[in-house]
Amino acid sequence: MTDTAAVPRQAPAPSGVPVLELRDVDVSYGRVQALRGVSLTVGEGEIVALIGSNGAGKTTTLRTISGLVRPSKGEVLLRGQPIQGMGAEAIARLGVGHAPEGRRLFSRMTVRENLDMGAYSRKDRAGIRDDFERVFALFPRVKERSSQLAGSLSGGEQQMVAIGRALMARPTLLLLDEPSLGLAPIVVDSVFEVIREINQGGTTVLLIEQNALLALNTARRGYVLETGEVATQGPSQELLHSPDVQRAYLGM
Amino acid sequence: MPSLGLGRLLTRERVDPTARRPRGAGTSTFWIFSIGSATLLFMGWLLPWFVRPTSSGIGYSPMDVVSSAPTGIGTFLVYLLGIGMLVMVLSPFAELFYRARKRAVPERLDQVRVLIAVFGLVSTVVVFLLTRVIQEEQLFGPIDAFTITDSAVWLTMVGYILAATAYGLRGWVIRRPTTAFAALALPVGILLPLMFHQAPVFILWAAGSLGIYTLLALGLNVVVGFAGLLDLGYAAFFAIGAYTCGSLASPKHSIHLPLWVLIFLGAAVASMFGAVLGAPTLRLRGDYLAIVTLGFGEIIPDLATNNIGKLTGGPDGISSIDQPIVHLPFATINFGINKEWYYWSVLLVVIVVIVLLRNLEHSRVGRAWVALREDEVAAAATGINTTSTKLLAFAIGASVSGLAGAFYGSIVTIVSPDDFSFSVSVSILSIIVLGGIGNITGVIVGSFVLTFVIFWMLQYLNEWSATLGQTINVPSLGNIDYSQYTYMIYGVALILMMLLRPGGLIPSRARQIELTSGGEEESLAAVQGIA
Repeated sequence: MTDTAAVPRQAPAPSGVPVLELRDVDVSYGRVQALRGVSLTVGEGEIVALIGSNGAGKTTTLRTISGLVRPSKGEVLLRGQPIQGMGAEAIARLGVGHAPEGRRLFSRMTVRENLDMGAYSRKDRAGIRDDFERVFALFPRVKERSSQLAGSLSGGEQQMVAIGRALMARPTLLLLDEPSLGLAPIVVDSVFEVIREINQGGTTVLLIEQNALLALNTARRGYVLETGEVATQGPSQELLHSPDVQRAYLGM
Repeated sequence: MPSLGLGRLLTRERVDPTARRPRGAGTSTFWIFSIGSATLLFMGWLLPWFVRPTSSGIGYSPMDVVSSAPTGIGTFLVYLLGIGMLVMVLSPFAELFYRARKRAVPERLDQVRVLIAVFGLVSTVVVFLLTRVIQEEQLFGPIDAFTITDSAVWLTMVGYILAATAYGLRGWVIRRPTTAFAALALPVGILLPLMFHQAPVFILWAAGSLGIYTLLALGLNVVVGFAGLLDLGYAAFFAIGAYTCGSLASPKHSIHLPLWVLIFLGAAVASMFGAVLGAPTLRLRGDYLAIVTLGFGEIIPDLATNNIGKLTGGPDGISSIDQPIVHLPFATINFGINKEWYYWSVLLVVIVVIVLLRNLEHSRVGRAWVALREDEVAAAATGINTTSTKLLAFAIGASVSGLAGAFYGSIVTIVSPDDFSFSVSVSILSIIVLGGIGNITGVIVGSFVLTFVIFWMLQYLNEWSATLGQTINVPSLGNIDYSQYTYMIYGVALILMMLLRPGGLIPSRARQIELTSGGEEESLAAVQGIA
């Protein structure tokens, strides 16, 4: 953990309409209810962290936002427009980039082809070329590996490609599902450094983490999910100092 | 719906400048040439013996020339050609020997082989001219000129050309495998009916089985190979195309549309059925989709058997389907009489389909298919409309099948439900598995090998076996009916394939990677599953 990470970063002031708003969302997998009345908002230019233990519903929340799962009740609003019930590809086209859990790269395609797939719904060749450069600037390692097969990269490199692929769609809202999963601590630091950089570039980020300390140090605000419900929420520093959160997630 | 500009299909789209050539594809082409030339030379040597049995049941062959005392120049040439053939047949083994000992193949070996190939080619041409122009008995000694059949001469010539290209231009073949393949396959493909003009049955075989099955395999490859959707009822679309042709170009309903309209109609109707079947079912994955398609494949021939709406003619099917008669300013071509025109038409269609599919494979849609095959969730998250992309694969696959069906109906002039049973779907699937799922070149080679073995060799095997039995005095060889072992040969071929070359004869890039690093990926997935 770097020192700079502990300092709450200067985020652009949230505007009137939040980028993303979930209102009382229920999601069920068959008879198992995964989310119960989850409500959350993500403002323009924010980094928001979603923390919680295994099975709390973090990934389900993200999948609901990106349209991979349909809510049984409630609303998902992207800049005030309801998007629940839309297909994943339509939501992706609206500017929601999703780096899914477990990276899910196209392992038998090269790194470059993976990034190219990220820009699938875009037509502006010049813009895509710029974004290749942007991703390569953020992740020099990815550039070195660009003609290798994605499946042959190390875990950290794969995570970088996964984030890069999500960025290639030039999203205004980036959903990151456990970017630290299975990575060495030093790699985790550099990945989070880049996440902050991406955010400073103007992309709003909603982040899922098991590593609550890291997540809250990076994010402006946080939500704590427990068994499918929002247990606590608030600015990161408040959550970091809340005794409940400290006991449950920070091991203090 | 993913954009599918037709203009884009005609020019290869290469978004990724670093896109890599499939590893080892060039080497595969080299081996096809090498083994292909050996096979052709071998066949050229033995063919007269098999194709033209005399009244005694024993044919003449160049072998007879060798075993008799050489008398004329021609006989000496044939004698030398035999030695050349043996060298070519054995030389791939020499190469394997050097590889196994991890030593480089000496350049001298290639030079010798090129020399033999060129000499062989020249001698074959001389023999050909001798048989055609001179036809003097003393040149060939006791054997009459026609024992060296044209087919044998052509096969031998093609064999030596292949050998000369493989060994003389080894670098070019490996560097530009597609160009090399096209440069040699195209002229041979076009000239094939001329080479076999002594055996019209062969042309019918080439047009009917080889051409049609290649088309079917190419179409199924889009569904199974590109998009990764297992379709076990592919013959249904074939049936739809064939019945479209049968209904609209026969006395059955007194409609007589030209074949050239019908191939497009057949493709359109089949792709419509593909979309109708696909729309509700493509949300199913893997095994479930396979079972639905299996059901569809059973339903369509049953509908035809039950003569739904008196459209299909029931179990007897539709007969006396029109064969096109084309009036050109200088000639009139009757396809029913000059069957080779069917062959050339199918060949043209196959080439067009190959060009379109190759471009499609490298287009946006093609990449979407690969992504979908790799990881459906990630594909959806990158903005690919999974349902319509799959539907497109289904519809394109079905349309190629419908096209093939229309041709089939016209060639065989009768379609009946039995022609489209489950075994046809299985045959097509075996072809692409054998050739290399997802690889167009592999699929072509696969359809060549399997249709050759199943539809041509097996039919003649009884005859050949009888000839052999009489020659070596084992008459019981003549009593074996090899055609009942068709599916056993399929089974053995597939089992051997899975053991020795699981990616097919020419594996696609993805298969190669999967097979070499599959274990690693699986353990990674396990770790992620636990975490």
